[in-house]
Amino acid sequence: MAKYVCTVCGYIYDGSDGPWEDLPESWECPLCGAAKSEFELLEEAPSDVKPVSESKDPVEFKEDQGNLTSLEMSALCSNLAQGLEKQYMAMEAEGFRELASYFKKVTAPAEDPAYSKMLDLLETDLNEDFPRANAVAGEAEDRGALRALVWTEKVSRIVKSLLNRYEKEGESLVEDKDVYVCTICGFIYIGDQLPEVCPVCKVPNWKFEMVEAR
Amino acid sequence: MARKYAVRNIRLCTKDCLCLYVCPSGATDTENSIIDVDKCIGCGDCADACPSGAISMVPEFYPDQQEVEDDVVQSMRKLTRSKSEQERIASGLSGKLAVAIEKSNHIMAEELLRESGYLLPQSDNTKQFLQSLLDKPQPEGFPSQTVEMLLEKYEKYQEEKSMDEKSTTLDNLMAAFTGESEANRKYTAYAKKAAKDGYVNAAKLFRAAADAETIHALKHFEVAGKVGTTAENLKDGVEGETFEYTSMYPPYVEQAEAEGNKAAALTFTYAMKAEEVHAGLYQEALDNLDKEEEEINYYLCPVCGNIEKTRPDKCWICNAPGEKFIEY
Ligand code: SF4
Ligand code: SF4
Ligand SMILES: [Zn+2]
Ligand SMILES: [Zn+2]
Repeated sequence: MAKYVCTVCGYIYDGSDGPWEDLPESWECPLCGAAKSEFELLEEAPSDVKPVSESKDPVEFKEDQGNLTSLEMSALCSNLAQGLEKQYMAMEAEGFRELASYFKKVTAPAEDPAYSKMLDLLETDLNEDFPRANAVAGEAEDRGALRALVWTEKVSRIVKSLLNRYEKEGESLVEDKDVYVCTICGFIYIGDQLPEVCPVCKVPNWKFEMVEAR
Repeated sequence: MARKYAVRNIRLCTKDCLCLYVCPSGATDTENSIIDVDKCIGCGDCADACPSGAISMVPEFYPDQQEVEDDVVQSMRKLTRSKSEQERIASGLSGKLAVAIEKSNHIMAEELLRESGYLLPQSDNTKQFLQSLLDKPQPEGFPSQTVEMLLEKYEKYQEEKSMDEKSTTLDNLMAAFTGESEANRKYTAYAKKAAKDGYVNAAKLFRAAADAETIHALKHFEVAGKVGTTAENLKDGVEGETFEYTSMYPPYVEQAEAEGNKAAALTFTYAMKAEEVHAGLYQEALDNLDKEEEEINYYLCPVCGNIEKTRPDKCWICNAPGEKFIEY
């Protein structure tokens, strides 16, 4: 029987609940909650070589190279704060935390925010920018960058699959359910059966944070 | 060698206090439970002793961050921009899912930035980022004092790191000097023994090797910048010999006598008395250094190391006959 593999967490569906085709569209990955559409047919003799896209054209990002937006600066500062916390540099960490929340605070709100706009951006991320970044980082043999890309790409798929389901199911997707975010990689889990370890970055689940509605 | 110091994780500390007993410097004994960085000598005893794993040894300085290639940075930054934009959109939406997606995107942006040149907080990239914040006009309410504080901390770190790197090599040179000097004396002793037992070749080899170590030791010492002017060197000689005969040898002699080790007591006593003579001679030479003087011959006692300016009948320290003295 054909097997299918979850592109987010690597879970393999072996047909134990019946043939793949008979599973409802609402079926989700039992490990990470990804939608059925995030699964791919598992080729026999599975190759562990990642398909790397050929497109290695330079990115047209030069125009504001070096100019971080305020929200990017916020992420940069909270990242540096984390690094300094690990080094037990309390005062410096506190300083960067302060900057991170300052930059978050001064960020202008998005005009007409909509779930569909996030989906559009994710489409470009997953179809163009992740393949390109993977190819460039692979070429440079930058293992740190490759690892970051693997995690963020998987999390992006999860977010996409949640957004797709939200379009169909609306608030009932999260109603009366607990929602968690992995504080290490950003993986989102909905439900009450938290996996022991994060399916993306493998940290133990006490690193997950429960999310409250605004 | 990178230095480390101890930090106590107060959340894990169960107040079992073994760290207080083992710390040789008193660094763990503080009122606020934070280990005193200035006192800590980095021995690691507290971390080994703590039953709760509450103490980690952290390096004082980190190796420089690896460069990230420019096109990697560019392609990661494109993704960062998209993640930040998604965070911004999500922050304008209500509901649990939006909150989760907002957080998730923030974490992804952090991750992407970390691997595009901001892994180590103490890097030039961080410095340039902070500097750029000060160079631009900023609106009221911008925490510029915090940015200045962070820049100052960074500069202090860099300064101390480069000082540490220099002092490490200096320490290494002096450690190598000590080791090579010891090896020279050791091989000289072995050569003497080999010659006495009739092993001619072994004796020669030991002598050659001893000389080789002298070559190394002299070079290390010179590179370390320890050879001064002759006046300075004479002063150093006075200080070294004085320390030995006033502070170092007296307790050695006492201890050896208490233990009944007569041979040790004798060699210590000979050295102690000879060093006092040496100190006096160095001082005299220093006083007369720039005066025109007729040449002096020195006579060395080959038994105890005493030095005289005329050949004596016998050594006043060890009674060796005067004709055994070596002329310089
Ligand atoms: S030994 Fe460990 S548990 Fe005990 S006081 Fe020190 S840090 Fe705390
Ligand atoms: S590393 Fe040594 S000196 Fe430093 S706090 Fe621990 S026991 Fe004391
Ligand atoms: Zn995770
Ligand atoms: Zn003598």
